[in-house]
Amino acid sequence: MSLYFGDIVPYLPVMLKALWVSIYVTLISFAAGSVLGIFIYLAKSSRFKVLQLISNGYIEVIRNTPLLVQLYLIYFGLGSIGINFNPLWSVLIGMTLNNSAYTAEIFRAGISAVPKGLREAGTALGMPFHQTFRYVMLKPGIRNVLPALTNQFIVLFLFSSVGSVISLDELTSILQNLNSQTLRTLEIFSVGAVLYYLTSAVIAFGSRMTEKFAFRW
Amino acid sequence: MDFVQFLPPLLRGAGLTLVIVVAAGVLGSLIGIVLGTAKASPSWIARAISSIYVNFLRGVPILIILLFAYFALPLILPSLTFSRGFTAVMGLSVYAGAYIAEIVRGSIQAVPKGQSEAAEALGMHYFMRLRYVISPQAMKIAVPPGIGFLIALVKASSLVSVIGFVDLTRAGRIVTTINQQPLLTFLIVGALYFAISYPISLLGRWYERKLA
Repeated sequence: MSLYFGDIVPYLPVMLKALWVSIYVTLISFAAGSVLGIFIYLAKSSRFKVLQLISNGYIEVIRNTPLLVQLYLIYFGLGSIGINFNPLWSVLIGMTLNNSAYTAEIFRAGISAVPKGLREAGTALGMPFHQTFRYVMLKPGIRNVLPALTNQFIVLFLFSSVGSVISLDELTSILQNLNSQTLRTLEIFSVGAVLYYLTSAVIAFGSRMTEKFAFRW
Repeated sequence: MDFVQFLPPLLRGAGLTLVIVVAAGVLGSLIGIVLGTAKASPSWIARAISSIYVNFLRGVPILIILLFAYFALPLILPSLTFSRGFTAVMGLSVYAGAYIAEIVRGSIQAVPKGQSEAAEALGMHYFMRLRYVISPQAMKIAVPPGIGFLIALVKASSLVSVIGFVDLTRAGRIVTTINQQPLLTFLIVGALYFAISYPISLLGRWYERKLA
């Protein structure tokens, strides 16, 4: 066994292009999932029992089943009853729904960790709830939520590799193709692993810097 | 109802999912305890080595680790043959080790410093302090995040289906090729995962309430 990386150098642009697919799938589904997550969080903390029940059930079901099975349900399951999505849309929908359950919990934990006194102080000053929320609770809330959110972003990015199973051409899928084309197994997968690692390390570094410099109020 | 006929293979798959999760959980805990203790240790060499392992593996998808184990292990050790179950458990354990190490490190460091200092003042050696003072307290702190990771491991274990191990997910795929009812089949598969994972999360919540 000897390592030779020369053979895979020509494929590097292909890999980087596939890495970009992984990244943008993650970006889109993270953004959409976070927005959805806010609504699920609002439903969960609302006064209405029905909304609480539905949002809670949604969160528990999504958080206790694998993303792969969720993707199979969307891609094969819905496909079998005539609702067809291509792999890209299946992955986007699946990852968005998956992410929304996790971000909803992150928002809930972050906002409920804001000291109760702040909210009471806002009420005592005669501010209606939406003002208390906007001007008093939002900033500490964001500060509580941000580390967990960026962590979730990295987790989502790593799990975008699952998209390869339903033949979305992202990095993992391209690595498997290149593996069977070049038979440079060790080299292909180690370069792929390094690409994933570097990307998540850059995200982690970016989030640490944001926490350090953007939230010094 | 014909799905009754497809339930036994799915249940068998669920059983195998449980087996590999337990095996990888135990092996991963061993790796994680050693590396996590090393990461919280005063020796910089131990910290550096464990940090490289933990940081790298936490930045790589479990699917890549499993594919690497599946395709590359036979190339690195050509004289040995690995069963798919073995490869699956190895990949999951290596993955779990990295995450559990972080949990162990965090728990050790969450024990108040005075505890370790008091033990040192009593003349206890580093390993004695770890054994009799730090670890009993750290273990309690490690339980909630440990349970959280166990749930993540159950879900991540679905990816061993990609390297051909017949776990619950793979059993579901096989069943759909026969009954042509992916919607129903994967709903059952999802329900079975839920049945494995939800009791674990309830256990975690119960424990946290007990602590509080």
